[in-house]
Amino acid sequence: MPGNEKAQKKQVPIKEGFFTMPLSPLENVRLNGSKCRKCGEVFLGKAIGCENCGSADMEELPLSKRGKLYTYTVIEHRPPGDYKGPDPFVPFGEGFVELPEGLRIVAPLTESKNLKIGMDLELVVHKLFEDANGNEVIAYKFKPV
Amino acid sequence: MKEVAIVGAGIHKFGRFPDESPIQIALEAVRMALQDANIPWKAIEMAYCARCYLPASTGARIGAALGKTGISIIDVESACASGAVAIRQGVLAIQSGACDVCVVVGVEKMPRGFMEPTTLGFEPWQVYMGLTTNPSYWAMNARRHMHEYGITEMHIAKVAYKNHRNSVHNPYAMYQKAFTMEEILNSPVVCSPTRLLEICAPNEGAAALVLCASEKAHKYTSKPITIAACVHSLPLYASDFRGPIYQLSAKVSNPNPGVVSAKKAYEQAGISPKDVSVAEVQDTDAFNELIHYEELGFCGPGESGRLIDEGATEIGGRIPVNASGGLISKGEPIGASHVGQMVDLVWQLRGQNGPRQVANARVGLGLVTGAMGHSAITIIKR
Ligand SMILES: [Zn+2]
Repeated sequence: MPGNEKAQKKQVPIKEGFFTMPLSPLENVRLNGSKCRKCGEVFLGKAIGCENCGSADMEELPLSKRGKLYTYTVIEHRPPGDYKGPDPFVPFGEGFVELPEGLRIVAPLTESKNLKIGMDLELVVHKLFEDANGNEVIAYKFKPV
Repeated sequence: MKEVAIVGAGIHKFGRFPDESPIQIALEAVRMALQDANIPWKAIEMAYCARCYLPASTGARIGAALGKTGISIIDVESACASGAVAIRQGVLAIQSGACDVCVVVGVEKMPRGFMEPTTLGFEPWQVYMGLTTNPSYWAMNARRHMHEYGITEMHIAKVAYKNHRNSVHNPYAMYQKAFTMEEILNSPVVCSPTRLLEICAPNEGAAALVLCASEKAHKYTSKPITIAACVHSLPLYASDFRGPIYQLSAKVSNPNPGVVSAKKAYEQAGISPKDVSVAEVQDTDAFNELIHYEELGFCGPGESGRLIDEGATEIGGRIPVNASGGLISKGEPIGASHVGQMVDLVWQLRGQNGPRQVANARVGLGLVTGAMGHSAITIIKR
């Protein structure tokens, strides 16, 4: 709305197809996936072809907000490239999070301490940074429940 | 199938060489290999150049500096397995009858620190979210394996201890320094459970081989080394954890690419794991070496901790692994790393490795793995 200084900033997904829409309010947003109609495998985001069976017949499948920690590490040094996390760098956990839909996704974790394989985790959808156009770029991480 | 032999081997030390161009680095390795085979460049019929981080047509530039003979020189890339794929192309070229003699050279010149993520294939969103620390994927695999099988941080440190100690006798390694277990365990954590002295550095270097149809190898050497197998695999669905992936199936379970490559390589060579005299495997982090013991059948699944505890993989053990000091001490110039493994194994089979010689080495095995799950194994015998 031109002239309205309180205009809400526009939210954009960090990767097209990763989230259910709309992106506001953030607490209602879930990760979005694709399920292969032929073999049932599930993929994060919009899959263009099934890596398991080769089928291109996919249906959209919103993913659960709860998962379990399959494995993890702690990123102790600033990752290479244009990382948009806190500056100065703060170490963070990184894990494979197993979702009930039958996939494990790589995700940043909110904690770097007391991580344990098998622990329950919950999705956090958050603004990671503002892009050059002033849009809020929406990303995901998981936090221990 | 036509048999292929290695008749020449050469290497440029792995390390950091700010005063040398990648072409100069590669030339030193190629010239050494040509000299070793006592063959002039003008007799070479084809060449393959393995590289990832260097510009297009690096192989053509190396060839130009040796004399523009007009031969086909092709660059090949398959992440950390690039060198193996170049060797495989050379083998296939000879087996197909396209040539009798060819050169394979691997070269790289990489910056310090973690590998540049977009070259590895990470997408911008993974970069923004900080999911691009390459060793973190190895660390997550290690953490899960430790959870399932009881491998400990002590086992991982023992691998690093062994390889650093072996490196003292390898003048081509970047680091030739032994460390105590205490120094290794007290070195900074890079990505838990992986520590600084348990991880390899991307760096610079080159290695080269001269390959020849075995029936003509006697023209160049009295000690030809036969390539018994050279295989390359990409992972089956959901079977490899390496970046730039961002998800794996929790339902489908396929054998990982190392297991698949090992089976193919042993079949092609007509041998079993117990026939291997000496192996060079990708210890980009020390835990990976343990996994490779299991993939290669040097021990059963989950038994790699016991194998290192028993000292079986030391020089003088039942199956010495990384007698060269491994990539932990040599560093990993990714185009050159596998060719470098094979150069060291050629020397092992010729019995010319001095203090790091494995007694009566008859069969050598080199293994590399890389981003996207590239996996390759070369087996040589005398
Ligand atoms: Zn499918």
